[in-house]
Amino acid sequence: MKLSERLVRWARLKSPWIILFNSGACNACDIEILAALTPRFDVERFGILAKGSPRHADILMVTGPVTRKQAKRLRMIYEQMPDPKYVIAMGACGASGGVFKGLYHVVDGVDKIVPVDVYVAGCPPRPDEIIDAVVRCLELMKKDMERGGKTWRIDEGTEEPRTEAATA
Amino acid sequence: MTQRGLDLERVTQAMGEFGLVEQVRQNRIRVASTRERVRDAIVRAKDRLGCDHVIQIACVDTGKVLELHYHLTGAHRTVVTIRAELPRDDSRIASVHDLLPPAGIYERQMHDLMGIRFEGHPDLRRIILNEDWPESEYPLRKDWKMDPTKFYGGVRKEAT
Amino acid sequence: MPEVLIPIGPQHPALKEPVNFKIFAEGERIVRLELDIAYNHRGIEKAAESRDFIKVVPLLERICGICSHSHTTTFVKGIEEAMGLQIPDRAQYIRTIVAELERMHSHLLWLGVAAHEIGFNTLFMWTWRDREVVQDLLEEISGNRVNYGINEVGGVRRDIRPETAEAALRQMDFLDSRVVEYEQMVREEPTTLARFRGVGRLTKEQALAFGAVGPTARASGVDYDIRKDDPYLAYADIPFEVVTVPDGDVFGRTLVRIGELRESIRILRHAFGHLPSGPLRINAPRGAPRAEILSRYEAPRGELAHFIRTNNTDRVERLDVRTPTLANWTSVAMTLPGHHLADIPVVVAAIDPCLSCTSRITIVDRERRDVRTMTWDELRAHGVRFYRAKEGI
Repeated sequence: MKLSERLVRWARLKSPWIILFNSGACNACDIEILAALTPRFDVERFGILAKGSPRHADILMVTGPVTRKQAKRLRMIYEQMPDPKYVIAMGACGASGGVFKGLYHVVDGVDKIVPVDVYVAGCPPRPDEIIDAVVRCLELMKKDMERGGKTWRIDEGTEEPRTEAATA
Repeated sequence: MTQRGLDLERVTQAMGEFGLVEQVRQNRIRVASTRERVRDAIVRAKDRLGCDHVIQIACVDTGKVLELHYHLTGAHRTVVTIRAELPRDDSRIASVHDLLPPAGIYERQMHDLMGIRFEGHPDLRRIILNEDWPESEYPLRKDWKMDPTKFYGGVRKEAT
Repeated sequence: MPEVLIPIGPQHPALKEPVNFKIFAEGERIVRLELDIAYNHRGIEKAAESRDFIKVVPLLERICGICSHSHTTTFVKGIEEAMGLQIPDRAQYIRTIVAELERMHSHLLWLGVAAHEIGFNTLFMWTWRDREVVQDLLEEISGNRVNYGINEVGGVRRDIRPETAEAALRQMDFLDSRVVEYEQMVREEPTTLARFRGVGRLTKEQALAFGAVGPTARASGVDYDIRKDDPYLAYADIPFEVVTVPDGDVFGRTLVRIGELRESIRILRHAFGHLPSGPLRINAPRGAPRAEILSRYEAPRGELAHFIRTNNTDRVERLDVRTPTLANWTSVAMTLPGHHLADIPVVVAAIDPCLSCTSRITIVDRERRDVRTMTWDELRAHGVRFYRAKEGI
């Protein structure tokens, strides 16, 4: 691997930039994400930074069951991110729509709109579980870099890309 | 706590001509009105009973009619509710946004979800349903069902 | 009339939330404000009609993750009124305790967010660190930091052990000392004085006419507080004051919330110290008789109203929710015109919107004839720079 590639890979793993997207959530997940930034949990010691622009982000964290209004926006934000990109779907809503499953204004789950790499269980997940999810995502990133992309996940036997579920 | 509150007699004196006045529970009195007289009833409640604060404008679909409930209060802390019924196939009523400024928002929302037309409202655009939601589909109506052949907003299937 | 669009959900200014503002400006001056809110609509009121009372409670808990107890309490007490139930005293006290802890966590959260909006990040970190004490108490009592799930129709689901009550009383002392320090900070810090004083002015008449509720209204001298006006839970038995100030600006709203933090500590001290013994719940019937209830509750953001129609079944015929943020938006729309763009983050944050604050703001400048788009972060940074230049801070 060239030196420049090694440098980029090191930077990406050492200091991932995260963009947060609320797709119509009740806010509990968002508050717990913010709490992860505050002194008790302090996610910034892992080098994780929350950035505003999708064009600079490595990881997209999505909260909410995806309302019909936000679905297009979510798609757009995902498409603006440069490769390689990762999506973490927060909570019960992110996985399946949560308590809002089947309601007339929701699309039921982030993976209906964008491919998801990590699901975090909880309603809402605790800040420690959120940090755990990000760390698992970084491990996934490392594996993907070693194996040249995400296709190894499909090749290894399952129908759809295998994903890691982060649980308590 | 200072003695305040409107009693049933006072409210009946001020509002009795609009319709039946009842004490629903302690601190809540309800006045029946027709849709044509709702504006007059609100003006009367403001002028004679000091109801200068709107709590909520609630709407209900009973299956037979649409009901509107204007919950007002004031320094007396009693809730005075003015209610009116609208036929389901002709759900128009005069807007009260000039009498109660927050109604501007509440009426827009009820129009989106229940299909009530507030005449005289300056801007009855979509406010709470997404821009791709089909016209004339009012989800909070009792007889509304999602049509599987229609697109209600989000990302279309072909695009994923 | 400035048109305002409002979301039904809760979103917060510090969070990248889905609300879109359209601001018509002339240079730096706001002329008109338009808000778009469909981003958070999920269809909860409709779902409530097809879920029975047991299933509806967890749904309502998640209308808003910051004031979840407010929504479930308002609902269950409305259904209990329809059923004619007398809830045991111990349950009422436990509900009150969780309610006031929720108010505390919400106000501390708000204080941090308001500080963040003006670039005062130290205060943000301190308040959120101290807020963790409240979260720990809530977790101890209910099993969860957020979305406590303590309510059910008929009472509460979990008890407070004596050791928890004792530990809580000690924490109240700690929190009280912290709040006193925050008040001093806010009153003396040049940034807060420059950014909050005189901004977002709302007179008493305007507050009443525009339907403002909660700390937003109480900061304009309107002493409406449902805990006193229409007492519920255990509030009739617990001594406390309604906090009002006459200022009518964002500074006033800050002082009201700080005052309410101290009053909440007072209520909690009394409640933890005088927990009545007895059962936690009574058996509720499966269905509720025909009734029409307006259930009101003083949530951290202001008055929450649930209009409930029951019809002799185990579900509601109609649940119409009017959140406090919905009530406060009109005052934002009416008072922002004339202000600087730089004041937007502060005035919007000052009503403590349980609604999201936008990820994108479009500014239509009639004077320069251009249309720019800013993110909330950019607007916040613009605000900090603007006042730094203007006031030298």
